[in-house]
Amino acid sequence: MGKPARATRKYPPRSPLVGYLLRRLGTSVLLLFGVTVVTFALANLVPGDPIAAALGEGAASNPATVEAYIQERGLDQPLPVQYANYIGGLFQGDMGISLRTAQPVASDLAKAVPATVEIALLAIVVSLGVGVALGSLAAYRRGKISDQLVRVLSLIGLSIPTFWMALVSFNFFFLQLRIAPGAGRLSPILPPPPPVTGFFTVDSLLAGQWVTFTDALAHLMLPVFVLSLFTIGLLTRFVRTSVLEVLDADYVRAGRAKGLSGPRLFFGYVLRGASLPILTIVGLAFGVLLSGTVLVEAVFAWPGLGSYAYNSATSLDLPGVMGVGLVVGVVYLTINFAVDLLYGVLDPRVRLA
Amino acid sequence: MRKQFRYVAAAFGLTASLALAGCAAAAPEVSDSIVIDTAFTLETADPGRNYVPTGYMVSKALYETLLDFAGSDESTPVAGLATFTQNDDATVFTFTLNEGRVFSDGSAVTADDVVFSLNRVAGMTESKANFLMNGITVTKVDDMTVELSTETPSLKLPALMTNPSLAILNSKLVVENGGTTDDSDAAEEFLNSNSAGSGPYVLDRVSFESQVVLTENENYNGDEEIDFTRVVIRNVSEAATQKINLEGNDSQIAVDLSGDQVAGLSDGINVFSTPSAQTIFLLINQDSEVGGVTANADFANAVRYALDYPGLLELAGAGSAQATGVIPPSFLGALADGVEQDLDVSAASLAASGYDGESITLEYPNDYPVGGVSFTPLAERIQSQLADAGITIELAPAPFTTQIDSYVTGAEAFSIWFWGPDYADSANFLPFVAGQKVGLRAGWTAEQDSDVVNLAAAAENATNFEERETAFSNFAEAMQQRGPFVPLIVPGSNIATAEYISGVAYNSTWTMDIAELQAK
Repeated sequence: MGKPARATRKYPPRSPLVGYLLRRLGTSVLLLFGVTVVTFALANLVPGDPIAAALGEGAASNPATVEAYIQERGLDQPLPVQYANYIGGLFQGDMGISLRTAQPVASDLAKAVPATVEIALLAIVVSLGVGVALGSLAAYRRGKISDQLVRVLSLIGLSIPTFWMALVSFNFFFLQLRIAPGAGRLSPILPPPPPVTGFFTVDSLLAGQWVTFTDALAHLMLPVFVLSLFTIGLLTRFVRTSVLEVLDADYVRAGRAKGLSGPRLFFGYVLRGASLPILTIVGLAFGVLLSGTVLVEAVFAWPGLGSYAYNSATSLDLPGVMGVGLVVGVVYLTINFAVDLLYGVLDPRVRLA
Repeated sequence: MRKQFRYVAAAFGLTASLALAGCAAAAPEVSDSIVIDTAFTLETADPGRNYVPTGYMVSKALYETLLDFAGSDESTPVAGLATFTQNDDATVFTFTLNEGRVFSDGSAVTADDVVFSLNRVAGMTESKANFLMNGITVTKVDDMTVELSTETPSLKLPALMTNPSLAILNSKLVVENGGTTDDSDAAEEFLNSNSAGSGPYVLDRVSFESQVVLTENENYNGDEEIDFTRVVIRNVSEAATQKINLEGNDSQIAVDLSGDQVAGLSDGINVFSTPSAQTIFLLINQDSEVGGVTANADFANAVRYALDYPGLLELAGAGSAQATGVIPPSFLGALADGVEQDLDVSAASLAASGYDGESITLEYPNDYPVGGVSFTPLAERIQSQLADAGITIELAPAPFTTQIDSYVTGAEAFSIWFWGPDYADSANFLPFVAGQKVGLRAGWTAEQDSDVVNLAAAAENATNFEERETAFSNFAEAMQQRGPFVPLIVPGSNIATAEYISGVAYNSTWTMDIAELQAK
């Protein structure tokens, strides 16, 4: 009797997509670890005394207060120990206590991030809608007056300084025309809706507060308008270029030859073919919108991530700076991940590769 | 092709109409409410832990202190929750509480509340306000009387008792919610969402990044008669936005406008401009290892008389004034007149100093305007004026957070800095003396000028008002004549309000008392 054949367990073949996702996830974790190392190192390399900056002259002259402050925050520990404590805290959702606000950084960011995401999301939707529309119009009307006009307008959108545009539009639409509300996320007399998502528009709808919803939506419009101008200009130029390339492609000509026209040709052939470079730009633009709203938030008194980052940096609030760095790192990685996945959805060649 | 354009146009139109629909929503108006825009410095609503301006403004509305200041006059404390007497040595101060005063829950204000509140600040070493209670012992005499004593004469104590950090809290309520008189105190969380004071307002809600809402204290039985039953204090960091909000009636008060901005305000806006309590000054290091050629009293004198002070003041705008010494105008002992430019005196001092045309680096923070005064144009003008007097200056700007380290450690030879009081008393300016905190930052040791050290000691230890005023004046005069500091500008404080609002009075600690605001 021969030796029984060794049973070999057969695992179902792993989907290439699952493997890809796992690899990307692993890379993302490593990158996030790198982000924490870099932000921690940079934050601690900045010259200056964060304790003096946080306490002020009077309290910093009081040895008892300085000692209590250092002990409470573990600032007397060696830097590697502080870093290890920081990473240990992160696993428990603890990002430290802000030296500036004296509140947990995680709690500060839980309020600031939704405020910024709310304007950034709406800005990217508006930018995408207007940018695709104008870019396609310019491509279809290549060389004509409407094309020239769109190109000039997009160049203006790219060139106008955001801070200046924010002040001018606030002055014009709020003060002169009186069709926009004042600064902030809500009118002063309205209480914020019960927090669920942190988006005032969504939370007010969930709570059935229609007045708060319209007020929150109204307050979103000017910041979104100002933020969108740059991304509209950027997207318009990219869409125009991409659509122009696709319009001359064989498969579009073939579609036309078969009698396709109108939205079927545009959405099914032209826009889909032009979508990959557009998607790349949208991903980058969304990241820029999330992390680069400092000036717009300052003008519109918007308590978002940009304001938090600026205030943390200028007051040497190291836990605050590291918290913002981590959030921005997560945002960029998530967006890149989502864009890569969408590549596969939009282009079967990417999926197969 | 035309059909495709229609789709494109429709998408564009939809986006635009969504935007317009949103913009069309109008904000409702409430007349008994007031909205105050300010750039927040707010960390806590617990008065015992607070040490920053917006926090003081909030605490002042929610709580009361033993003593107070009347309007903008910060020279003499007046009765608050209590009246006081002192012994001849100025070491024992007896406070008698006013009869019948109650907290917002209706319970009486007693000596136990005073003892608890002051000892709580003294016991919380991690509180930034802890230093205010250094050296002060609190003793209950009876239910309505408390004694505060110090080892040495302390005529600054009455002024300290006006500070909102030393507000009187409802001790029973605070203890029930974790309050203690040592580092184990855990009442901050409670006080961040509830107030426990006897002030004219109670806390409705707080968001440390965006706004604080106060409502009327129904049980308030003090002297203030408030006109606004609801107050919203908003965080608007950009002064230009504060200006537009005020002009557009989205807010009724803007706290942080610069002198230039108030000059361009539209009609129908009132502006209350007054010199603040901040002093911008030049530091001239007297340590030869740090300062080199600047370590010389003659060089300091040359700089002092070379400057055209009205020319510098042009950069500061409304409300600002020339600094007449290290003590700003509203404080006891402040000098009436500042230094006037005298190029002959400057030239003689420069010759005596041994300066030989070498370039001197002027350091300053370039991202930290004080009272709307940016240091970069100020430094450029100083550079230009000193060049006319034969002194060559090289500018070295840096961000505040990186620059302050070298200032605090006394490593700057020649720099522009500023100083503001921690509480409303001239004792705040004694650190400028030789051998003290700010003096040492200028490399000025006590051994270098024992006379001025004695003058400062006399001011510190005075036991009556007249003696103290004279001592502080003598100190300020000596500092102005031979100190290593050249006071330049006291920037203005500009509080702009809607036309129908009156009662604005600037205070160097709490900026303004919200309860004193009135609708005309």
